[in-house]
Amino acid sequence: MTGVSVIGVGMIPFGKYPDTNIADLGWPAVKAAIKDANIDPKRIDAVYSGTARGGAMVGQRIMGRIGLAGLPIVNVENACSSSSGALAQGVIAIASGAYDVVLVIGVEKLTKFGGGTLPLDEDDWEVRLGLSMPALYAMRAQRYMHDYGVTAEQIAGISVKNRSNGTRNPDAQMKKEVTIAEVLGSRMIADPFTLLQCCPTGDGAAAIILASDHVARQFRSDPIAVRASHLTSGKFMSGFRDMTSPEITVRGAKETFEEAGLGPEDIDVAEVHDAFSIAELLYYEAFGFCPRGEGAALLESGATKIGGRIPINPSGGLLAKGHPVGATGAAQVVEIVRQLRGEAGPRQVEGARIGLSHATGGGISGFDHGACSIHIFQR
Amino acid sequence: MAVEATEKPALLCGDAVELDAEGRAHLIGGLCVDCGHRTFPRAPVCCGCMSENIVPAPMPRTGTLYAFSTVHVAAKKWHKPMCVGYVDLPNGARVFTHLRGDLTIGDDVDVEIAIVGEDENGAIETFVFKRSAP
Repeated sequence: MTGVSVIGVGMIPFGKYPDTNIADLGWPAVKAAIKDANIDPKRIDAVYSGTARGGAMVGQRIMGRIGLAGLPIVNVENACSSSSGALAQGVIAIASGAYDVVLVIGVEKLTKFGGGTLPLDEDDWEVRLGLSMPALYAMRAQRYMHDYGVTAEQIAGISVKNRSNGTRNPDAQMKKEVTIAEVLGSRMIADPFTLLQCCPTGDGAAAIILASDHVARQFRSDPIAVRASHLTSGKFMSGFRDMTSPEITVRGAKETFEEAGLGPEDIDVAEVHDAFSIAELLYYEAFGFCPRGEGAALLESGATKIGGRIPINPSGGLLAKGHPVGATGAAQVVEIVRQLRGEAGPRQVEGARIGLSHATGGGISGFDHGACSIHIFQR
Repeated sequence: MAVEATEKPALLCGDAVELDAEGRAHLIGGLCVDCGHRTFPRAPVCCGCMSENIVPAPMPRTGTLYAFSTVHVAAKKWHKPMCVGYVDLPNGARVFTHLRGDLTIGDDVDVEIAIVGEDENGAIETFVFKRSAP
């Protein structure tokens, strides 16, 4: 099996583009990634395009716009893991020897739904009865507070940190510092979450160009190696499950670290799926960045801030950068690649050599989450 | 345990709940005849052994509240704020449900029927759980 590297990344600033067609959200990110990779676009062998709610044939619509269709294009839907799942397929395709160069796209336009919580499939039993993503994460938060004696104020600290990081990211949707008082004083959505503890609704696109190791240096002298590429689904459990320890990410993290031959102590920077404030605390623990029940203490120690021991979500994360669902996984990789190349400007994690990205989601009955994709990269 | 004749609106949860002669609500889940796995709601196939030999089975009326949240932003049809949570039943099933009254995690809760919202067809009625009488 050949090794796989990232040779190009690009994205559009996340935000609200209600008047822009999804194809026109996508192609600028692709063009930016092609330029970043310094590659003749004819060298692209195949495209894996992820979107959760963008509809059919989104990859073809984007590639057609810039005259690059007429090659294998696979459209991937896997909720919040749509483009990270597309990335995993691209890595497999190159590692297998089938292709030398693959383009991965993530794109989403959520403003078409007109605001409110992310629409879920009413065919699902719990969704039909009223389950929503804020309610699901809020129950995790309530149980976590109950089990570990953590307060709503402590959880809200995640929003303060990530909004602060977002002020340093020109691609972030939310670029304003917020205080704990402002977070807690914002409109109640699902107890304990106030508005500023929920990722914003928005649109966006990101793109990644992968190359096999034997051609990567034809394009760039500094390819970023894919050390691990992992995709799994949640386990269906009709009975008890511990909502404070997301099994899909705990298992996914363990398997990803095994694949990379690395552990949590080796990670210099990570982008994790902070769709709601509690999520980032749970993922500190799921990845082993700290022991169970100590997520709030890790946050309060400053370890996860830029400049700390293990900076988490320097981009601002989903809470500040935004969460156009299908674009998120690819955009996390854009951030990690920029961090590992030293291109992250005022939010640069100094000396970052190994980075991790984690996108998980899909609210369906009986699953902790539907999908989870984790990647580890090394410069 | 027949469904009581009533002029009330159709239940959102369909045949997953029945009322007994005293008007008490019972959740009806599924029991796999081949492996004994119990689920709520009832599914046409067993997630434990893939058997399709599933029979309706009344579930315990009392469970333990695992987690809940009071939700202020949700689709127009729901009465808000709406309290929803997961209840663990003693037979191993976990039930997502609307809730009623002041609650604490770990409370014993009982099932009943209540109106939880309203849509173009009128009131939305389904099962809810409320704290058990001491």
